[in-house]
Formats: sequence, C-alpha cells, structure tokens
Amino acid sequence: MATVAGRHQQGLVARWRRVLGDAQRAKYIFLLLLAAMFVANLYLMLIWAPTERVMGDVQRIFYIHVPPLWVAFIAFFLTFVSSIAYLRTRERSWDNRAFAAAEVGLAFMTVGIIAGAIWGKPVWGTWWTWDAKLTTTFVLWVTYVGYMMVRSYAPVRAQGARWSAVIGIIGFINVPIVYMAAVWWRGLHPDQVTGAFASGGGLEPDMRTAFYFSVLTFVLLFAYLLYHRIGVRRTEDEVGSLHNMLHEGRS
Amino acid sequence: MEDSNLGFLFAGFAVVWVGLFAYIIYVSRREQALRREVADLRQELAEREERGGR
Repeated sequence: MATVAGRHQQGLVARWRRVLGDAQRAKYIFLLLLAAMFVANLYLMLIWAPTERVMGDVQRIFYIHVPPLWVAFIAFFLTFVSSIAYLRTRERSWDNRAFAAAEVGLAFMTVGIIAGAIWGKPVWGTWWTWDAKLTTTFVLWVTYVGYMMVRSYAPVRAQGARWSAVIGIIGFINVPIVYMAAVWWRGLHPDQVTGAFASGGGLEPDMRTAFYFSVLTFVLLFAYLLYHRIGVRRTEDEVGSLHNMLHEGRS
Repeated sequence: MEDSNLGFLFAGFAVVWVGLFAYIIYVSRREQALRREVADLRQELAEREERGGR
C-alpha cells in the first residue's frame, strides 16, 4: 500500500516538474518572440515607414511615444477593474493585480511622456507647454504617482490598499479625458491620426503598419512585465507572512 | 532633415528603450532578492521547528 502511495507521489512530482519545465520553456519562447518583435519594430519604425514631409525623421518618435501611452491606458483600466473587485471582495490577489498594473502602467507612461517632450522641442520649439492634452496627461501621471505614494506611506497595508483602490477608480475617469483632449479642446498637440476620432487623412498605410506593430510589441512587453510584477508582489506577501511567523515564534 | 533632429530621434528612442530596460532589470533583481529572502526565512523557520522538536 505504501509503495503504491509512494509511486503516486513520485508520479505527481514528475508531472509538476514537466509542467514547470514547460512554463519555463514557454517563458523563453515568449522572450525570444519579444526580442524578434523588438528588432522588427525598429526596422519598421526607422526604415520601413516613410519619412514625414513636414517634420522629417523626428516624426518617427511618434511610433514610440503613442504606444506606451496607450499601454498605460490599458494598465490603468486594469487597475480600475481590479480596484473595484478589491473593494467588493477584499481579496489580496485583486489588490496585487491593481498595484502591479498601476506600477507597470506608470513606467510606460513616464517614458511615453519624455519621448513626447523630446519630439516637442524640434517641432514646437519647446519641451513642454500647458496645452489641454499635455495638462490632462500630467494630471493623470501625478494621480498614479500619488497612488504609489499612498501605498508607500500608509501605516497599515490594508489601509494603503483601500485608499489606493479609491484613487485607482477615481483616477481612471481622467483616461478618456486625456484621450479626447485634443478633439475637445484645440491646442498645440496634434489631433488624433488613428482610431475612430482621427482627423484629416489619417496615417499613410506603411506608417499605419509600423504604428500598429509597435502597439502590439509594447502590449506584449506590458503583458510580460505585468505577469512578473504580480509574481513579485505575491512573493513580497509571502516574505511578510514568513516574517510574521518568525516574529510570533519569538514573542 | 537637419542633423540636430536626428539627435532628438536618437534621444527619444534611447529614453524609451533604456527606461523600460531599467525597469525590467529592477523587477528581475527584486524577484531574485525576494526569492533568496524566502529561502532564508524558510530555513530559519525549519531550524527553529527542529530545535523546538528536540
């Protein structure tokens, strides 16, 4: 009887090793795909896409300025949904998802804003202007910086999770405003050149290909980072509970 | 296209890719550090249980 149980246990261990091995392999395949897409993305943005007539080559910053900001919008939507789920259920897994999406989204948003400022200097003659689109974008960025700070400074983890969930829900209201700002209020920032609210002739077909490929590359990179950041958050929780167990043992 | 604008193009691409790469490194290092911490804490707990058992 003991031998049968032992064999069953060995079979289970072997099966888990196979699953873990496959997961590791899947991770490497995904990373290889991402690296290949990164190279193809550079080719499409810098060589394949034609040079814009008025702005010249500096217009190519568009392919790395807009996609990270779209990814940030997706991330903040995930924070919004996960924050609602957390406030309803009080399950830590929802809070972990909300936090990870906010942090990764903020990283994408930061580089997207800086890339936009670098494009603005040669085209507008200034790094920054308080145009409606830029101002609402700045407010959104500050909101999620605040989200991260609330978590860091809250005296108790649950309290920080609750407060930041409220910020994650209210802060998301600004996302559609940022998206529509150039349509609603005329300013220095160009109108949308793609999507349902695009004005004028939109993007030239080769430019559109380069743009959407760039969006896809950034979305996949975001998915990879989000998956990892949620894992790190779970391990942080595990460290916290192990410390508690040790502390309880001492007292 | 002015030469100076190529500098802006390079700077724009560099900021995005270097920034995101730095974030990937940060997440990976944090993951490694936490795994080490979990292993150390588990070992400490196991040792304590062993001592308590005796």
